Formats: sequence, structure tokens, C-alpha cells
Amino acid sequence: MKKLLAVLMTGFALALTHAAVAADTTIRIGAIYPLSGALASTGSELKQAIELAVEVINAPHTELKDIPLAAGAGLPHLSNAKIEVVFADSQGKPEVGQAEAQRLIDQEHVVALIGAYQSAVTKTTSRIAEQRGMPFLNPESSSPDLTERGYKWFFRTTPNDETFIADMMRFLDTVKSVPTKRIAVVFENTDFGVNTSKAVEKFAKQSGRDVVANIAYSAGTASVNAETQKLAQAKPDVAIFASYTSDAILFVRTMRETGYAPPVFLANDAGFIDSRFVSEVGPQVQGVLTRDVWANDLDTIKPVIKQLNDMFKSRSGGKNLNGNSARSLQGMLVLASAIDRAGSTKPDAIRQALAATDLSADQIVMPWAGVKFDANGQNERGQGLILQLVGTQYATVWPDRYEQNKDLPKLPFAWKH
Amino acid sequence: MLEALSTGLFNGLVYAAVAVGLALIWGITDVINFAHGDFLMLAMYVAYWLFTLGHVDPTLSAPIAACALALVGFLAYALIIRPLSRAPAMIVILATFGLGLVLRQLAFIAFSPDYRNLPDTWLSGSIRLGGISLGRPQVATGLVALAMIIVLFVLVYRTRWGHALQAVAEDRQAASLVGIACDRVNAQVWMLGSAAVGVTGALLTSFFYVFPSVGAVFVLLAFVAVAMGGFGSLPGAFLSGILIGVVESLTGYWFEPAYKTASIFVIFLLVLWYRPRGLFGRW
Amino acid sequence: MIAAIAVVALAIFPFAFPDPFYQQIVVTALMYGALGAAWNLVGGFLGRVSFGHAVFLGVGGYATLLLLRHANVTPWIGIPAGGIVAAAIALVVGRPTLRLTGHYFAMATIAVLAVAHVLMVNWSFAGGATGIEAPIADSFRLLLFRSRVPYYWIAFALAVATFAATLALVRAKPGYYWRAINGDEAAARALGVPAERYKMLAFVLSAALTGIWGGFYAIYVGFIDPDSAFSLTLSIQIVLVAILGGVGTIVGPWLGAALLIPLAEGMRVAMGGSGKGFDLLLYGVAIVLVSLFLPRGLITLRWRRAAA
Repeated sequence: MKKLLAVLMTGFALALTHAAVAADTTIRIGAIYPLSGALASTGSELKQAIELAVEVINAPHTELKDIPLAAGAGLPHLSNAKIEVVFADSQGKPEVGQAEAQRLIDQEHVVALIGAYQSAVTKTTSRIAEQRGMPFLNPESSSPDLTERGYKWFFRTTPNDETFIADMMRFLDTVKSVPTKRIAVVFENTDFGVNTSKAVEKFAKQSGRDVVANIAYSAGTASVNAETQKLAQAKPDVAIFASYTSDAILFVRTMRETGYAPPVFLANDAGFIDSRFVSEVGPQVQGVLTRDVWANDLDTIKPVIKQLNDMFKSRSGGKNLNGNSARSLQGMLVLASAIDRAGSTKPDAIRQALAATDLSADQIVMPWAGVKFDANGQNERGQGLILQLVGTQYATVWPDRYEQNKDLPKLPFAWKH
Repeated sequence: MLEALSTGLFNGLVYAAVAVGLALIWGITDVINFAHGDFLMLAMYVAYWLFTLGHVDPTLSAPIAACALALVGFLAYALIIRPLSRAPAMIVILATFGLGLVLRQLAFIAFSPDYRNLPDTWLSGSIRLGGISLGRPQVATGLVALAMIIVLFVLVYRTRWGHALQAVAEDRQAASLVGIACDRVNAQVWMLGSAAVGVTGALLTSFFYVFPSVGAVFVLLAFVAVAMGGFGSLPGAFLSGILIGVVESLTGYWFEPAYKTASIFVIFLLVLWYRPRGLFGRW
Repeated sequence: MIAAIAVVALAIFPFAFPDPFYQQIVVTALMYGALGAAWNLVGGFLGRVSFGHAVFLGVGGYATLLLLRHANVTPWIGIPAGGIVAAAIALVVGRPTLRLTGHYFAMATIAVLAVAHVLMVNWSFAGGATGIEAPIADSFRLLLFRSRVPYYWIAFALAVATFAATLALVRAKPGYYWRAINGDEAAARALGVPAERYKMLAFVLSAALTGIWGGFYAIYVGFIDPDSAFSLTLSIQIVLVAILGGVGTIVGPWLGAALLIPLAEGMRVAMGGSGKGFDLLLYGVAIVLVSLFLPRGLITLRWRRAAA
């Protein structure tokens, strides 16, 4: 009896792995994201953003004119075939992401892959894509080395940390009210954090600044008192943070409790733009600056931002689009438009169409100059923004042409009590 | 340096608070509870929701969380641990691991993976003593941990019931021969240990974020504290927790925060090198 | 014997099921089975539960990829080298840890794993937190392929070798001594068993096998970083596989992996994409149920049949 149970369980488990048969009128795209584990809250937002992108493509949305594929239903060059996204959970682990990538290609018969937020997972999933000759679009990972591997099938729409940190330095150059010469970097000891710190070292030097402290910490740590103390001791003018949501929250709480306020509190995106971070500790950390790629207050300059944000809000139960989710959405749109231009689901055709992508600023939802991939698959037209937290939302403070409220940024940073 | 020492001390008290419940269960019923971190997580959610929905401050919800967790501990014992008491010891590892996963996933499904944070509560704010700034929640949690350990110490080492506990821990057969109801004792220990975790979890919410996998942040340090202090010794676990906090803090202060965890484990290995049964271990 | 049937079945498998996805599940199951079997030498037969075995996996993997990346040494040499390095680490680490009993040993192994993790994260030559990636190639010499099929055969060969090795060891003198030490170390010593030497032997051999599989893992995934290689979760997974199957038996870990891995994969595939978390919930429930109903592991199913 128990033997039967065991056999049944294994058989059941294997049966579950057998995928559904794909319908031929949909174009299937595989999406790999951390839907469980420590980054699940971000993963689920990215999933919702991609689902929104699919809705924009598949249903007519004439109000979003100029965005390719929005006006019609489906992909016009493929007989209005609809896009279907098959999501897979990477569990935040590179080897799981890789297994899922393989499964999406072999069992779910996807024509392209999109993902995976975390750089380590993107590395292994795109490796499978490269080995199998499958187009891979990476909307969110910022590690520069992803486009330094000589891959032919890898395309990245987001700018990488080199662009972002250079933008940070350019922003700091415009800050005149407080000194910005001494920089301290606080970063989690992972791919994301280490790349941020390396980029800061490089670009700080280039812009004539000194890095006075490089403080690495383990993600998900129980206490950050030691790190905060080290930071305070270094007396930096600018403190740059590379942290995901949990540690960002912990740092804010700890720094507030110990009463330490860096004069310029500048985050490199990630946890600091997470909607949970903003809603949970936003009131306490007013005035924090962050690099981002998206700001909801840019809707006066780019109306499509508000339109999409409203659509996202109704999908996600009130959450705003942020730099993470917006980039996933944009990535999906770019991928779909490439498939459409290819007019075929053959991998090589899609790849060529991706390589030939040439979208201008009006044709994308991000506040960038457009999308055009260089020889390494990196989008050359992206750029970063610097935002400051005012009230319940982040407001754009740089570049100047996007700044709505010319009083900002309010510096130096101080805790509200 | 004084600041580093004092924050280390209070962080250590927090770790000790988490460890104490584990030490009790591990030391007396000889079960490694892999779900311990997830018990902590449940307690944190209890306090979180009591505050968010009922405006009950974490200090007040601590006893409620303790009762809730005592129930959880009892159920875990009755449904999982006790049926496996005749099985090889290792299978319990598998079972508690599965239990932890189930609890985590239930929290994931019920509460979503979002990080939750309590805004200012009664305990918020800092205390400034002579140039050092200490978080009030941490100080309070530390003091409660101290009180808890004293209470438990008295219970386990100075009462008749406590002697029964120790008897069961030392030799089950002999204990049952002299008429001690081992089963009941085990259940009580599980309830007591879980209640301790409940109190700690409730207080933790006043300064730490809550999400389904939050147990993982503290549980490993708790395990190390119990092992370093020596199995069967409550004061050992407590002191080790404090030691861990101090080592962590001083490593960050003297060297690099990146090596905090490494130095804790190195100290642990050194302790075991010189004292293979931990600092005060009895077995 | 079951083993012979299994070997034949596995040899036919890729031809019967050309779908790389199923092959990948089998490869993963073989890997965990082998890791469990290697772990078993220390955990099952010798009776010392180690939660830090991933350290040997990581060491083997890193050795292989570092040799490949920096010295262009083929994994044909790199993988065995990984095993040797892991064995060396075991020699160093074994001395202080094998003196410890039960729970203390378990915690000490976790400590070693954690220290190794921190060291690797901060060692920039080895890629630090970013890890190392293997180049993409289709080369027999480099043991790197674009298709997954060759990896199946490598895993198959390694698995057979691991199984044979554990079988040989347990059936011979070391196995007897280990079980004697496990039963009662003092008595065994009194009877003349060179306990120190054999404890270390178990540890070192277990580490060597694990290290070799670490090398395989490195070229299979093509990427290694401290979080995935020196992972406590992975260590625990190895222990689970062995316990589930039946600790202290030769076939046990392989059975455990045969159930646990397809179960985990199946759940994730069926429900993971929704992000609702049901897949892991069911997995956890399954683990609890199996431990309650099969407390001595899957291997007892066979004994029951024999008894009935």
C-alpha cells in the first residue's frame, strides 16, 4: 500500500511536468522571474507589469498612440496573433532559472525568453538561450558584465550600472548647496551590490571625487548597526546605497534610531524604489534620493506614463509602476515589436529584428531617448533619472528638463521626527 | 567603541531571546526544530496584524503571541514530533524541515510576500546615554529577554517541574521509570519554548520587518547560540547569544562588516575546539 | 538487484525520452542521489550528520571553473582535481570537527560552510560575489556542450561510479569499521578499530566524491557563485534526500532523490508560474507526510515486502 503511494506520488509528480499543448494562434514567450523566495514581492510586480504589456499588445489601445502594437490587437505582421506569456519561477536561484529556461524552450515551445531581474539568474538563463539559439531579452538586470560575454542572442533594454552611476555623478555635479566630494558606498555583497561599488569607484575617480568608505554587508542580515557605525565614522558627503527592499528598510530604521543622517542619501534603485519600501518607511525617510528609470510625475511630459500607471494600479491593487516594473513592461513591448517586425517566429528572424530595433523616444514608455542595441546587445539610448522622495511618491530632480518642481532637491537629508 | 559594544550587547540579547526557546526544546526533547525560525515568523505576523487591525501595541500583543505560539508548539509536538518518537532521530529533521516550509508557504499565500513594517509604536525612538544612541525597541527586547531567561532558569532549575524536565532530558527511560509522564513533559516543553519565541517575535516587530521568510534571518544565529552555549544549558544559550551580538558588532567596528558572519562562526569553531561540548554543555 | 535494473533503465532512458526536460530532471536526481550517497558515508554509516556538505561541492565546482578560466585546464582534469581539493579541505577541517559528537558536529559543519561562503564572496580572484561563468563551447576536450544530452551521459557515468564506490567501500573493511564506530565508538576502539583513521577516511572520501560532483555541477550549469554553491539550503537538500530514502543504506539516497527531485520539479512546473506559492506548500506537506508514514525512509518499502 505504501509502495503504491510512493509510486503514485512519483508518477503524479512526473505527470505534472508534462506541459499543455500549445495553441498555434498564440505567440508564446517565456518569462522567468523570482516568484517565490526573498524577492518574490518584486517578482510578482514584474509579472503584473508584463501581463499589462501583453494586454496592451493584445487588445486595442488607441489612447497609447505611437507605442508600437498598442493601437491594434495582436501582432499585425503575424495575422494578428496574440502574445501569450508563460511564467516560470526562478525561485531566485540561478540553477532553477536555468532549468526553467530549458523547460520553456523544450516543453512550452516559446519563441523567445524574457527575464530575470537578478543578474545571477539572468546569466544562467541567457546561457541556455545562447546555447540553444533563442532570443533573450533582459529588461532589468544592471550588471555590466552581462553584455560583455560576446553573446549573440542576448539583448538588454535597460542601461547598465556604468550608465547609471555616471548619471549619478552628473547629478552630483549639479548639486551646489552641499559638498559632494566624499562618497561612501554601502552595498550588499552580491552581484548587484559589487557592481554598483565597482562602478562608483570608477566614475567617482573620473569626476574628481573620493570614495572614503566601501562597506559591504550580507543581504538579509539581522542587524546593520556595525555598518551604520562605520558609515557614520567615515563622515561622507554622499552615501550611496545598493540594497534590496528588506535591507533598505533595516538601514532606514537603524540609521534613524542611531540618529545618523548622511547629508546626501542616494540609493541605486532596487529596494529603495520598491512600492513596499515607499509605503512602509516612506514617511520616515522623506528626502532620500534614488537613481531610477521611471517617475510617475513625468506624466505631464509623457502622458503615456499616467495612462499606463492607471492601468497598472487597477491591476495590482493600487501599486504604482516603478523603475523595476516599468522596465519589464517596456522590455516586453520591445520584444513583441521585434517579433512583429520579424513577421516570423523563427529564432533567427526575431534575433535580426531585435538587432535592427530603432525606436525613438515617442515610441517607448520609458523616459529614454529610445531603444537601439549596440553590437553587444546593450541599449545605447537609455538613461537614468534621479528622484527624491517627497510625500508619498518620488519626484524627478534630474535631469533638469524633467524636473517639475524647481525647489528640489531639498538638501541636506535629515530625519523627520 | 562603546557604542559598538552596547549595540552589540543589545543585538546579542535579541539573538539570545530567539535562542532561548530553541535551547529549551532542543536541550530537553533532543529535537532540532528546523521550523523554529518560522515559529518566530508566525509570532511576528500575529503582532503585526494585532497592531494593524486592532491597534494593539507589540508590547501588549507579546502575551497573546506567546499563547498563540504555545498552541502551535503543542500542535507541532502532538501531530508530528510525538508520532515520530520511536523513529530514527534523523527523520524528525526531515519532518520539522517540511513543517517550516509549510508554515512559510501558508504565510506567503495568506499574507503575500510583501515586506511589512510597523510604524512608530510605544517602543519606538532612541535612548541617548552619554553620547551613545540605542534603539528603544532593542533595549526593551533585550530586557524582556533577560527577564525571560531568568524566569525560565528558575522554572527549569529550581522547581520540581523543572527537575522533571531535566530528568527527561538526561534519561527518558529512567525518568519514566520513576513515574514522570515524559510525553506530557515534552508537550509542555514544546509549548513553553514556543511561547518564548512568541514573546520574542512580538517584540521584534517593533524594529524589524516582517515577511514570510524572516525566520531565516535569525534562526541560524539561534542555532549557533544554542550549540555554542552547550546543549542542555539555558544560561549557555543566553550568554552565547550575547557573545554573538558582541562579536558581530566588534568585527564590524575593528575590521569590516563584510566579515561579521565569518567571525561569529570562527569564534564558534574555536569554542568547540577547546570545549567540544560548548561552553556549558551537559551532553 | 534493483540497482542493475536501474542502471539498464537509465541507460535506455535518453532514447526512450528524448525530451531534454525529462533528461534534466533525471540528471538532477542522479546528482542528488550521488551527493546523498556520498553524504551517507559520513552521515549514515558513520552516523555523523553533516549539514555543511555543500562546502565540498562548492570547492570542487570552483576548482574546476578556476582551472578552466585561468589556466585553460580541461574539466577532464579539473573535475577530479576538484575532488582532490575537496578531499584536502576535508583533511584540514576533519581534524577539529570529527572529535565532536552528534549535534555539535552538525553545527560545526554549518560553521565551516558559512565561513567558506564569506571567504568566497570576498575573494575577487574567484569572482567574488559575481561568481565565475564557463565559456560557451561545444568541445569534447572542454566537456562543454551546447546540447544537454552529453551531460546526461557524464552524469550517468559518474552516478554509476559513485554507486560502485559506495558499494565497494561499505561492503569492505571500511564499512564494517564505520558501522562499528557508529554503534559504539568506545567499544569499537576497545576492539582495536583505528577509529581516528577511519572517521577521517569516511570524511575525506565523502568530500572527494562530493567535490567531483561539484565539478560536474559547475560545467553543467556553466556558472557558479558563492550563494548557489556554498548554500545551506543545498546542504539540507542533500541530507533530506538521504534521510527520505533511508539513512545508512546503499540504495536509500538514490530512492530519496528519485522521489524528492521529480516531486519538487513537478510541483514547481505545475504551479510555480502562478507565483501563488502552492507548489512549495504541497512540497512541504509531502515531506511531512512521507516522514510521518515512512519514518525509516523509502527503503522500508522493500523490507516490508520482504517481511510480508
